[in-house]
Amino acid sequence: MRKAVMLAAMLVGATTLASGCKLVRQTVTGVTEVDNSVHPERVYWGDTHLHTSNSPDAFGFGNRLDAEAALRFASGEEVTSSTGIRAKLKRPLDFLVITDHSDGFGAIKDLYNAPRSFISDPTVLRWYDMLHTGPKESLQATREVIDAKTHDTLPKALMNPDGAAARLKSNWLQHIATVERYNQPGTFTALLGFEYTLMNGGNNLHRNVIFRDSGNRVSTVLPLASLGTIVPDGLWDYMDAYEARTGGKVLAIPHNSNLSNGEMFMFTDPTGGPMSAEYARRRAAHEPEVEITQIKGDSEAHPFMSANDEFAGYGTAGWDLGNLDNSAQAKPEMHAGSYVREALKRGLLIEQRTGVNPYKFGVIGSTDAHTSLATADDDNYFGKHPGVEPSATRAVDPQNLGSASGRFGWNYLASGYAAVWATSNSREAIFDAMMRKETYATTGPRMTVRFFGGWDFSGADLQGDWVKSGYARGVPMGGTLPPHPASTPGSGAPSFIVSALKDPIDANLDRVQVVKGWVDQAGQAHEKVFDVVWSAMDQRKAIGGKVPPVGDTVDVAKATYTNTIGAPQLTTVWSDPEFNPQQRAFYYARVLMIPTPSWVAFDMLRFHLTLDPSIPLKQQERGYTSAIWYSPV
Amino acid sequence: MTWRAATRAFLSEPLVHFLIVGGAVFWLLAGRAPDLSERRIVVDKTVVGILAERFYGSFHRLPSPDETDGMIRDYVADQVYYREALRLGLDRGDEVVVRRLRRKLESLSVAEAETAEPSDNQLQALIDHDPARYADDPRTTFEQVYLGADSPAQRAAANTALAALRAGEPVNPQPAPLPARLDRASAAEISGLFGDEFALAVRGLPLGQWRGPLASGLGLHLVRVSARTAPVKPSLAAMRQRVTNDWRAAASARAQSDAYAKMLAGYDVAIELPK
Repeated sequence: MRKAVMLAAMLVGATTLASGCKLVRQTVTGVTEVDNSVHPERVYWGDTHLHTSNSPDAFGFGNRLDAEAALRFASGEEVTSSTGIRAKLKRPLDFLVITDHSDGFGAIKDLYNAPRSFISDPTVLRWYDMLHTGPKESLQATREVIDAKTHDTLPKALMNPDGAAARLKSNWLQHIATVERYNQPGTFTALLGFEYTLMNGGNNLHRNVIFRDSGNRVSTVLPLASLGTIVPDGLWDYMDAYEARTGGKVLAIPHNSNLSNGEMFMFTDPTGGPMSAEYARRRAAHEPEVEITQIKGDSEAHPFMSANDEFAGYGTAGWDLGNLDNSAQAKPEMHAGSYVREALKRGLLIEQRTGVNPYKFGVIGSTDAHTSLATADDDNYFGKHPGVEPSATRAVDPQNLGSASGRFGWNYLASGYAAVWATSNSREAIFDAMMRKETYATTGPRMTVRFFGGWDFSGADLQGDWVKSGYARGVPMGGTLPPHPASTPGSGAPSFIVSALKDPIDANLDRVQVVKGWVDQAGQAHEKVFDVVWSAMDQRKAIGGKVPPVGDTVDVAKATYTNTIGAPQLTTVWSDPEFNPQQRAFYYARVLMIPTPSWVAFDMLRFHLTLDPSIPLKQQERGYTSAIWYSPV
Repeated sequence: MTWRAATRAFLSEPLVHFLIVGGAVFWLLAGRAPDLSERRIVVDKTVVGILAERFYGSFHRLPSPDETDGMIRDYVADQVYYREALRLGLDRGDEVVVRRLRRKLESLSVAEAETAEPSDNQLQALIDHDPARYADDPRTTFEQVYLGADSPAQRAAANTALAALRAGEPVNPQPAPLPARLDRASAAEISGLFGDEFALAVRGLPLGQWRGPLASGLGLHLVRVSARTAPVKPSLAAMRQRVTNDWRAAASARAQSDAYAKMLAGYDVAIELPK
């Protein structure tokens, strides 16, 4: 192990709220040393997308838990939820990024706590009174605020640039001070960040912004507001300026492409013209990751584009109807710009034309919970916001984000988490792993997945230290295959080591698949899903290229399953049988669990519900790795 | 300016009396609880000053004379309505009023606790109260050979493999993304990778011997522990950050429940359930 000692200065001492709220008192009390391994030896689990009471919508929905409660919960402590339920994770997370909305950061909390006589704007005053009337009125006020934000009609008084600047700074510094106190390198990493809630109408173009640095650098900037903009260029300018001025590093992660009505992964630049190499380069440089799965649905693939993939379409029900607030319906031709697999294909096409791939990103999952509680387990699901914490009606209640109709409780997923192959549990190592895309996403279960690509891997490698071989003779997930070496023996096709291990306290695995996308000579993009290793391979013979289903042990009435089917680990070396060295391609692994009960089934059991039979009660949870890319020389 | 900062500014105003009676009873109105028989409403320099300050807080400029007149008219109307409403008893039985006043008082009771700094004695007391929580987790260094899913056949094979390992012969594990060796792993790390049951079993193994098969959430393993650190008595120096966080996290709740307990002590509560 290389002894690369990292110094992580920990800043403590709370914010001092002097009159005018401009001071933050920070005391350096300790230096923690963290050893970095040469290559990542273990995977770290985290949530890169969590809202606390500083998010205006979260507070309006009833969230009264601050950043401190969120950090304590993620690090394994018990907290009491906003609705008074004792909450605890079965296992702590290794890291957390709190990403409160930069727009109106702390604003609704401050509004709620302000003396009423401060408020002059009639709309804001109306919301103020609704916030104070009761939970139902507070929810309604929040929906109206989201609608106003979505359509850029928020009253100036709420966002007033003069007064808000001092208030924002005070809230931001206080937030930073709290996060610094909980960042314990080696044990639990708390990163600084915010959500840039970019929208074009109701089309979701949201990004989470994550800093690599400690509070003394990050406190020199304020979270950037997205109000009034519809393209991400302003965010990238902000990131460039931060890096140039402070020497720090920052990245952005788009999320909920599934609610963008095709605008998250466009073929064109935002003006509708052909995407230039320069634009593609900027996007790829600032956005190395995409959040592929979360509470508001899954964005991997849609059956409209992936008709031959019987596992496409997980977590798309309800969400594929329209954009974020369902103010505009999604037309089928929009889907291609809304899902990750299609974006990876578009990236190859744009690279073929311009030489640069704008969508060469890795993937992570996260919760996007607005409860301050980073839960992604189906038997411990606290919902999108405090209005839908465990209750007898949440599964069937309409749960719309704006005031338009469209989605119900059961459409939401208890998903997901980010898995990061980092060289230590520290801000720097986790951030760097995201930059090199050595990450994967799961819908909640903590399965371990390795994925290496190279030119000469064979089954014999599995007899030895194959992880070492993977790094020595290939590239890990998120990497690009080096040019094919002329001297290498074998078929000339790339080979992949893929190994998946079940979560020690969750269900067995059904199968591991490799999803390949490529572009042919005619400039058409294609995809194919290969089953590469599965449980009980002797009995489950592929028929017509498809492996039969693994079976189903779910007892819905008891919300249980058994591990009598599936396998605890699935490992193989797979070589692409259809490789064409002239064609650009990507490969990523998808790991499927055996069927298990969904959170709705647990609610049914807990609250003795009788639900409409059309509501699904079981699912095959899954993991998606970042891709490995191939380009012809 | 946040509400708390605003509150502090108010507290520094001479007109604003912050009364502490019996430890924690507060009035925060425009000076004091109104005497309902008082029929005079006085708008003096201090009141106008407060109005101007509120205006500045919203608009970042001073009010014009017309605006000041408007605010004074509004202030007088507020006072008249407020006193008449109290006289009519409209504050009673209104849940919104009750809840709002309770929130105000709760916020006041925790405002100080949130910025207080604990003493070393307070922190040490917290450690002494629950030493196990702050004890440095013992670290274990061990090798493990993963043998796959738990089954009778696999258990039999495990015994053969165990004999081989004890004889110094190599054994091929099932390929899986699991480390063959863990260095100075904490119990939490072992639990995270293998599950609680396995972590507990590893804790009981002797040093230097291949043992097993041990069952985990993943299947069967053969294990050899090579080193284990003794538990270290928790010290404030090593745990300061964490103990301070715990102290601070509990401080608000504590301040609030203390304040409530003191107020409650002044009441005689009779709960008469229907027969």
